[in-house]
Amino acid sequence: MPEPIQRDFLDPAVLGRLMGLPLNSRHPMVGSVSGRHRSPVKGSALEFAQYRKYVPGDDTRRLDWRTWGRTDRYYIKEFEADTNLRLCFIVDTSGSMAYGEEGNTRLDYARRIAGTLAYLAAQQGDAVGLYSGSKDFEHEVPAKRGPIHLGIIFNQLGQLNANGESGLVSSIHQAAEKISQRALIVIVSDLLFEPEPLREALQHLRFRKHDVALFHLLDRQELDFDFDRPTRFVDLEGGPSLLADPSLIDRRYREALTNYFKTVDEIMNHSVIDYHRILLDEPYEQVLARFLMGRNPKTARSAR
Amino acid sequence: MSFLQPLLLAGLPLALLPLIIHLINRHRHRTVEWAAMLFLLDARKMNKGMARLRQILILSMRVLAVAMLIFAASRPLSGGILALTGGKADTVIVLLDRSASMEQQILETGESKRLAALDKLTDLLEKTGQSSEIVLIDSATLKPVVIDDSTNLAELPQTDATSTAADIPALLQIAIDYLVTNESGRTDIWVASDQRESDWKPASGRWQSLRTKLAAQKNVRLFLLNFPEASTSNYSIQASNVQRIQTPENLQLIFDLRVGREGLDEPLEEVTLPVEFIINGTRTVQEVTLIDREAVLQGHTISLGNSDERGWGQASLPADDNLRDNISYLVFDDPAPRKTVIVSDDPDTRDAIIAAAKAPVEIGATYDAIALDETAAAQVPWQETALLFWHAPLPSPDSTEAKLLTQHVKSGRTLIFLPPETSEVGESLFGFSWGKWQESSGTPLEVGWWRTESELLANTRNGAPLPLGDLKLSKTRFYTSESQPLLKLESGEPVISKLITDQLGPTAGNIYIWGTLPRTDHSTFATDGVAFFVMLHRALDPGVNSVSRAQSRDASEGTLPALNVIRSLSSPDQSPLHPDLNAGAYEVTPLRGDPLLFALNRPNSEDSAKTLTDEGIKSLLEGVDYRQISDELGSGSSLAAEVWRAFLLAMALALIVEAALCLPPKPGPESSPLHLSPPARQSS
Repeated sequence: MPEPIQRDFLDPAVLGRLMGLPLNSRHPMVGSVSGRHRSPVKGSALEFAQYRKYVPGDDTRRLDWRTWGRTDRYYIKEFEADTNLRLCFIVDTSGSMAYGEEGNTRLDYARRIAGTLAYLAAQQGDAVGLYSGSKDFEHEVPAKRGPIHLGIIFNQLGQLNANGESGLVSSIHQAAEKISQRALIVIVSDLLFEPEPLREALQHLRFRKHDVALFHLLDRQELDFDFDRPTRFVDLEGGPSLLADPSLIDRRYREALTNYFKTVDEIMNHSVIDYHRILLDEPYEQVLARFLMGRNPKTARSAR
Repeated sequence: MSFLQPLLLAGLPLALLPLIIHLINRHRHRTVEWAAMLFLLDARKMNKGMARLRQILILSMRVLAVAMLIFAASRPLSGGILALTGGKADTVIVLLDRSASMEQQILETGESKRLAALDKLTDLLEKTGQSSEIVLIDSATLKPVVIDDSTNLAELPQTDATSTAADIPALLQIAIDYLVTNESGRTDIWVASDQRESDWKPASGRWQSLRTKLAAQKNVRLFLLNFPEASTSNYSIQASNVQRIQTPENLQLIFDLRVGREGLDEPLEEVTLPVEFIINGTRTVQEVTLIDREAVLQGHTISLGNSDERGWGQASLPADDNLRDNISYLVFDDPAPRKTVIVSDDPDTRDAIIAAAKAPVEIGATYDAIALDETAAAQVPWQETALLFWHAPLPSPDSTEAKLLTQHVKSGRTLIFLPPETSEVGESLFGFSWGKWQESSGTPLEVGWWRTESELLANTRNGAPLPLGDLKLSKTRFYTSESQPLLKLESGEPVISKLITDQLGPTAGNIYIWGTLPRTDHSTFATDGVAFFVMLHRALDPGVNSVSRAQSRDASEGTLPALNVIRSLSSPDQSPLHPDLNAGAYEVTPLRGDPLLFALNRPNSEDSAKTLTDEGIKSLLEGVDYRQISDELGSGSSLAAEVWRAFLLAMALALIVEAALCLPPKPGPESSPLHLSPPARQSS
């Protein structure tokens, strides 16, 4: 008998409160159906785009007769085409994602973010896909619409396990190749690896004209490094453990941390990524609200 | 380094406590699952340089602080000037120079060099020698004495002031003998002296043997506590050649007086000193002016009362840096007959000697000379004989004659050996034996060198040399001996020598060897009689003192006859415990016979302020591991001082350094918490 799939990462109350905030893309999307996102294709929707001179062969039904009446010239009136959005998650499943308190590990936090955003996207008719950031790229769910597919996404999220070394960079490259059309790609990871290779992976996504958002999950303990006695640190990703006296190395630890943040910040700025550094003790509802409002042109200023 | 509470040093391993706590702390680690290994590994890489060194330094400072605390609690001792005490010795031998020159003092405090040395050694022994056997050997008695209570060496009778001379080589020899006899283990030898050349005797042949023996003693450390500081104003006085003569008017006392000064820098100022004479209680004062380093009054005369045929007196100077050399004692009585005896079968030799010996030199003295055949040697009047010529084969050392000759010399008389006619080598006596005869082939043998500064052939008082250059020798006899040459041929062969008689005791007289005879077929001694006459009477003089009823002697142990009643004339109320070690006038009453008078004075050598240089000591002790501490009177420095304060200071310094190393680093801009906080949104 198959193990019951846990979906406790979904909180109806949170979903209800966030329902009012639309999930927008920062770039025009190419969708298969009509939706609420801008498309690079001009169409006959309600949103006016521009006037242009009539050329033979244009549909005469789109001539603006009022302008002809005033200027005696033929102009075609164009409108923005609205389409749907492809929302793809790349969730890091390396061993370090298991860090955190029981029930509130980094992977749990990632599930909540991904699950909530997936639900919101599906509700506004967008397609949702999921890729795992493991080395063997074991979870791969292409973006589709519909409640059944959403159920599959939730199931896949519930089955994610954190173990092994991080394969996020290779997963990003693979996902970039596999997602053929423009999409909003949300990466959820702790980025606990040498950040430099990440630069090329993100550039790869940007090259494919994807809108990329990255949730960088960190635990407060990792920042404070507040230990009062010698400690054996066991690597969650299976590497050799390390016995150290934190009082001796805490200064160097902070130096290493600072250097790391500098590099990460520089990569994110250079790659124009919607980057969010999150502490696990921060309620994910606030994080998502800030994320959604930051993407809404009307509320972006106040969100920042 | 030694410690007053050495048991506390057992706690020294506690110094490792910080290290052990550190290791335990590391062992008590907890285990956590950790994701951010990236930063840990980076931090560890960065921590390998200065930070690791800092941590090692912190631990070292903690260990050092605990160790210093334990050291301080153990009350460490260190040399005040040098680190002298390198651990406890099983035996500490103190060799103390008790010579008169060690009484040089600071007038204000009365602290002499001897007392200063004793104070410092007492302090050292109190602090370091509780568990060591302490042996004192003083220069006056040369006897090792085991000291039970070292708390106040200065109160021991063996450390009192004396008027004697010191013999440092003899002290060292006795110390080495003690070490060998008692198997003393690890031993410290402390020599306390004023570094006077006269006491150290650098020319002595014993030094070579001492060097070898000291270098062979691996467990012996030699420390020289020297006080070479010369006095800035010290005058000395010495009376000699005391004679009582009868003039038509009255009795008179005639003596030579020497007043010297030392330690004063050139140019010397002319100074006039009042010299006080007290003769049989009558006091007179004579002013003596010193232009150079010394003034000599020859034949100084003091009139005596008609009843003062016998008595004692003193010549003294005002008090100065050394009270021991400010006074000289003299005694007088009826002059003793100056008797010379020659044991010889050779008439020519006998005649020449008798003629010279009977010729009077001093007014009022009685000169007598007799000759005896070799077979009648037993008839020598030993009690009256001041000078004995032995012109006969050397007697066997076990024979009666040899014993009588030895006793003759031991009692202070003079003995001169003349070469017997027989060509046999014969016996050996006093370490000497006759060799072969040597005859000149046509041309007489000529004198190549003679000792002009002292002894029989010394220049006259006005500095003129004796007419020995004209001496011709036709026949001389070789001899083998440990002796001091007085006259040598051009070929370097000694003709006249003085035997070394140290082994015969401090009162021993002189033994001379004359390798030729006063006969015309041997030498021109008798025909050019001046030198011969002078030699004979110079040899006679010291011997006469020994047969006199009033004798002047150098203070030294055994110088006064034993088994007699001794009464101090100069200090009747404070009769010293060891009268023969202290200058003074004494009356010695033998069991039989009349009382004798003795004037004991410090040896003349004690008036010489010449000190041995450090280089001189270095060459004397070449190959011997020794440490020299040159101290000064009133320096107040200690040979061993408690240095716990230094250790506490070191501990405090270690703790301060540790605290400084433990201070958290100043937060730089790179480690600002702002960078650690997640930004609300980094980019859009």
